[in-house]
Amino acid sequence: MQRRRDLPLDPSRRQSMLSAGSGFAALALGQLLLRDDHLPATEQPRPQVRRVIQLFMTGGASPMDTFDYKPELERLHGQMLGPKEKPEGFTAPAGAIMKSPFEFAQHGQSGRWVSSLFPEQAMLVDEMAFLMAMTTKTNVHGPGTYMMNSGFLLPGFPCLGAWVSYALGNLTDNLPTFVVLPDPRGLPYNQKGCFSAGFLPAVHEGVVIDAAARNPVPDLTADPRFEFTGAQQDREGLRLLAEINQAYAAKHPADPRLDARIASYELAAKLQLSAPEAFNLADETELTSRLYGLDQSITQDFGRRCLLARRLIERGVRFVQVWSGPQGATNNWDNHGSIPNELPPMAASVDRPIAALLRDLKNRGLDRDTLVIWTTEFGRTPFAQGGTGRDHNGGSFVTWLWGAGIKPGVTYGKSDDWGYQAVEQKTWCYDLHATILHLLGIDHLELTVRHNGIDRRLTDVHGHVIHDILSS
Amino acid sequence: MPNQCRLLILLCLVSGNLRGQVLDATSENQEAFFRRQVLPIFEAHCYPCHAHNSGQIEGGLALDWRSGWELGGTRGPAVVPGRPEQSLLIRAIEHTDPELQMPAEPLPREHIALLKEWVQRGAWDDRQTAPQPTEDPLDWWSLRPLVSPKIPSAPASHPIDAFIQARLDENRLTHSPPASPRALIRRLYYDLLGFPPSPEDVARFVADPSDAAYERLVDRLLASERYGERWARHWLDTIHFAESHGYEHDIGRDHAWPYRDYVIGALNDDVPWATFVRQQLAVDWFWPESTELLPALGFLAAGTFDLSTYSTGPVTFDYLDRDDMVHQTMSAFVSSTVNCARCHNHKFDPVAQEDYYALQAVFAGILKGDIPYDTDSLAARTRSQLENELRAIKDLDRQMLFSADAQQRVATWLDNHHSATPWSPLRLQSFASTDGSILTHTEEDRIVVSGPNPETDTYILAGKISIPRLSALRLELFPDPSLPMQGPGRCHNGNLHLSEIKVLLFAPQAQTAQELRLVHASADFNQEGWGVERAMDGDPKTAWGIFPEVGKPHTAIFELHESTIIPDGSTITIQLQQLHGGSHLIGSFRLSMIDAPSAAIRPMPAYIEAALQQPAENRSDQQKLQIAAHVLTQDVEQRLAALPARRSVYAAGPLVQIPAGNGNFQEARRATPKPVHLLQRGEMSKPLHEVFPGTFAISPNLPSRFVLDATEDAQDASATESWRRAALAQWIAHPDNPLTWRSIVNRVWHYHFGRGLCATPNDFGRMGDSPSHPELMDWLAIWFRDTAGGSLKRLHRLIVTSRTYRQSSEVRGDAASLDNENRLLWRQHRRRLDAESYRDSVLVVSGQIDWMMGGASNPNFQQSPGAQLTPSLDYHSYDWSLPGARRRSIYRYVWRGIPDPLMAALDFPDLGLLAPVRGESSSPLQSLSLYNHPFVLFHSQAMATNLAAEHPTVSDQITAAIERLYQRSPKSEELTRFEEFAQRMEIAAFCRVLLNSTEFLFIE
Repeated sequence: MQRRRDLPLDPSRRQSMLSAGSGFAALALGQLLLRDDHLPATEQPRPQVRRVIQLFMTGGASPMDTFDYKPELERLHGQMLGPKEKPEGFTAPAGAIMKSPFEFAQHGQSGRWVSSLFPEQAMLVDEMAFLMAMTTKTNVHGPGTYMMNSGFLLPGFPCLGAWVSYALGNLTDNLPTFVVLPDPRGLPYNQKGCFSAGFLPAVHEGVVIDAAARNPVPDLTADPRFEFTGAQQDREGLRLLAEINQAYAAKHPADPRLDARIASYELAAKLQLSAPEAFNLADETELTSRLYGLDQSITQDFGRRCLLARRLIERGVRFVQVWSGPQGATNNWDNHGSIPNELPPMAASVDRPIAALLRDLKNRGLDRDTLVIWTTEFGRTPFAQGGTGRDHNGGSFVTWLWGAGIKPGVTYGKSDDWGYQAVEQKTWCYDLHATILHLLGIDHLELTVRHNGIDRRLTDVHGHVIHDILSS
Repeated sequence: MPNQCRLLILLCLVSGNLRGQVLDATSENQEAFFRRQVLPIFEAHCYPCHAHNSGQIEGGLALDWRSGWELGGTRGPAVVPGRPEQSLLIRAIEHTDPELQMPAEPLPREHIALLKEWVQRGAWDDRQTAPQPTEDPLDWWSLRPLVSPKIPSAPASHPIDAFIQARLDENRLTHSPPASPRALIRRLYYDLLGFPPSPEDVARFVADPSDAAYERLVDRLLASERYGERWARHWLDTIHFAESHGYEHDIGRDHAWPYRDYVIGALNDDVPWATFVRQQLAVDWFWPESTELLPALGFLAAGTFDLSTYSTGPVTFDYLDRDDMVHQTMSAFVSSTVNCARCHNHKFDPVAQEDYYALQAVFAGILKGDIPYDTDSLAARTRSQLENELRAIKDLDRQMLFSADAQQRVATWLDNHHSATPWSPLRLQSFASTDGSILTHTEEDRIVVSGPNPETDTYILAGKISIPRLSALRLELFPDPSLPMQGPGRCHNGNLHLSEIKVLLFAPQAQTAQELRLVHASADFNQEGWGVERAMDGDPKTAWGIFPEVGKPHTAIFELHESTIIPDGSTITIQLQQLHGGSHLIGSFRLSMIDAPSAAIRPMPAYIEAALQQPAENRSDQQKLQIAAHVLTQDVEQRLAALPARRSVYAAGPLVQIPAGNGNFQEARRATPKPVHLLQRGEMSKPLHEVFPGTFAISPNLPSRFVLDATEDAQDASATESWRRAALAQWIAHPDNPLTWRSIVNRVWHYHFGRGLCATPNDFGRMGDSPSHPELMDWLAIWFRDTAGGSLKRLHRLIVTSRTYRQSSEVRGDAASLDNENRLLWRQHRRRLDAESYRDSVLVVSGQIDWMMGGASNPNFQQSPGAQLTPSLDYHSYDWSLPGARRRSIYRYVWRGIPDPLMAALDFPDLGLLAPVRGESSSPLQSLSLYNHPFVLFHSQAMATNLAAEHPTVSDQITAAIERLYQRSPKSEELTRFEEFAQRMEIAAFCRVLLNSTEFLFIE
């Protein structure tokens, strides 16, 4: 990397190079030149946030059973007040108004109401900023999950992590820039669509990490059943490869892609060395393990992935996505059947790990430049589905942000008295994304890529930075 | 007088107002305020929908001149000077009225304040005339009519070179020297076929690299079927073809492949471009007889399908699904981004919002799913005749049923029926159940079942029969007082489900049993959705049922494929598998056998039985009709069954079977096209008037609204929808459509040079790239359309025989300093192998490739059930030695939402969107994949084994490897180094290094 430090590459040039889409030198240079320590010092002041952890609750986490307290539902419980005709995307006609089966209490200086499902997060509400009037354009999982990740209802668009990777590059050569930690029970809705780089170069796609696998990073090492791939053959092979690739590049000068290939193999070797250490949770203390809930079966898996997220962030990964729950009818936040039975185990599986993650980041000083986002694809109906379930509802849901640049303990937006529709300070994914990019030092209007005739943005043609939740 | 007074006062007020404005001492300030503060807000936020030059005057309100807001739109004047609170404009921007909120994205507070102040201060505005359109929207390079440009007079003899050289001359540049023969043959193989030439091919060409030899080579490669396999993927990328739905329920489409084979075939057959267009959009209209071409309609179904929204949000689904078809069709064929006009008129190109919805209306009558088709058009014709006959029979058409021919067939049937031999019961020797039911033999060879009542069970019965041949067996079910609801089933409601029936013949002295193949099943009654054919379809998940006709006897008859000889002393064993669960088990039954023509034995409805029992002369006219209908139905059905089986293709049509996961399908039908409405600002909740099929206006010769030609058979055609698609196909394929011909020559150019003359192959609009050589593009478009008759192969030949194509790709410092991007083509581009070329090349050089063409796609993954309908795919545990693993990449099963990591690392695109251009990235993760992916390692090993078998010494093995991969011999110092490495590390380790090397991955 050292030898490239002298190459100037201002962001506009980066953009024009990459936006041509037709590839060639620009694309081949890929992320080799995209490290932010290569950016000229003339750029804007150092952004507040340099790394992001996105916690995504698959299925549509119920707002009125977690953070959005609605006493009105208690009063109207059992009354048939919902829409007479089934709205688009509801899976069934609306049932009677249903109160939350959980106790709510106020917490912290900010007095935020939190249900009994989140006792650990409740202790940290004064550090979070709540978006209480999130809203979306759909009541269907696939498009909804796309929207919250890529800003579009349709497939094929880059997700937030990919845009961040594209705009800012990596903080380290030793690990991937954008890492995804899916629920081991299965992929979320849209399979890998929500980690996709869309029309951005493939290097910006989220790298799915399975920490328990022999190869946590795909193809990190060769399968030992191929006997010619021992350590020595690996090493000597790379040496020979470097020789012949260098000879080729020397014979065909002035093609930076050929140099980029040589550098890629050097970086791959570095990644091979550093990745196993990054993924090894064994060197964490027993106290840390307990803090994240690794000692209990219900929190073990999500806790492990939160801990891994911290280790990766700490080692310079730019963007980590942690998913709670796979797609499907069970083990996620899509609680059509029974809120009292299905939601508590999901809530318990994430509550302690999330609180531990925030405390741990703070103890290590990582909160100074790390942003954590808790979100989901939509909310749920205040009306019962079947007996005690709730249906999909894009009308209103909750997201919180924590960490660098965030004004602690604030609330932005309000839903109606049932939690059915956002009414005040309605907030779209566009605003959330614009705010996240802003914290990363990026103007969401400027980050564009020309694709099939349109200058595409993460925020489409919308988006306002929500200054009310920012510390400065 | 009072009236006059009032008028006067009014006049005073008005003139006072005017005077106030004109004579205002601060009018200069007013003007500055308007121009600097107010106008920019109008321009940025209001003009897009309310200005002449944006082509959009929503609600009739124009804000680009004074009279516009004075007169206002449909709601009346927009501004009342001096009265912000009465001005609609201010109400709209303040978003206080839920009915009137503009723009949808609220303006910043300071902008609202400025506009209020402007109105308050009297709304100074000196824009007295309506702006004239600044530019003819059709005056744009891609939209202008094609007029043949003059070929520049240059020494070059090849027209392409003449055009290129003219531009080079202008810029004092020159072509590069020709590529070496070795580089050239490698380049040509990759471009046309997608893999490297064999060492023998290279040697032959290097020995004679003459123009004549080169042209022979070009012709040979273009004649190869490998060409269609290579170029098909380019088209499939362009139209985002993949073999699963995408979105939440990313379900596989096992019958998408016939479309892929259609594309390969069309390219190999060099189908003229206009025909290719017509076939893919409306083959059912243009060539209804050629059913074998129906897979062409797979084009319309190439994209995503959101099953979840289809099921729960049908209105949303329709608009978004049609949007995908419109976007794909217009991008692929005419490089136009019409989808930008979904919410408002296209901001840059001449596409009105109404045109966009007219295009949606073209596709308003179709759905995507599996459609059966006859691969043999003769069979299709017969099938269609027989189906017509069936309809006539069902309608009890007297003329047909009482025709001489029909009555002859009835008479024959009646003879057979009366002379039928009796059924002989299976003389049971043993009978048992696998899961605990107790079978008891009672009188008349019946079995009654009692005892434990398991969830599922299989009865196995064996015995002898007394007839020498066997053509069918009969299963009779009986009611019995011991059974729930009197049976005949043991389920609480008296029902049963027979999942599968199996018949085995044990001949004396035979070593193994022979399973007798069943080809037809019939029953006197079938439960809805539980037809008796399901008991012999080989699928244990489907079954026969009789609910709600419980408490009655029933009969099912299973026919063998032919009358089979039963050797004396044979034993027949019958398995009755009842696997549905819920104790859907048979309660009382009998099995018997027969050898008789099927017409004589099939169960018939009670009213036919009754009619037959009457003496012939006593039968009523209606009964005679019914008997004839019964006989002829069997007859026609038999002839239908004898036709060659139909195949299915995932395509678009008015009646489809939507793959719904786990092998299930949802039938969907569009009896008539859905009405399409213009959506205000693209919002589904705001439909305006209905829009009819059409497209955008581009030339006076090409009508932009489609009507059904009166000379066509209106009755038939208006009942269908295909005329709409046909009309669009005609518009696209028309010689006067300048976009079509420019679009395709540019695409082909793109794949030969790595970049099109226009670098945005899907966008020829004002947001797209401007062509580097517009005259050349036009010349090529006209030549392709007229001289070449739309032949792609002739276009390839023209391009690859040019000096421009054949020149070296080396960077020359002098030229690079003038044109670093090489837009003027002073050299060829050096290109990295795309994902398919890499994978195919590895298979070729390892000697493992399987050249089998066509057919079902090969998954390069292990599939297991997922959390819901989308399966879980494991690419990494895939066994690369499996049959099918060595076929070309075009035959890979491409799963949209779960991409193959190796292919993705090499920039195989995300097919959620159209992919007219591939990326060429390199990254550490790509390096890891190439170095460690099991596919690469497996073939490193295979290549080593293959080399060792052909060449005894390590040195020869290395030489052969270099020849296979690099199309050259190793230099002596290379050989020394490689030998030294291979001696210590094995040849396989050496092959692995070569398969990672830049020289292998790049095309000179």
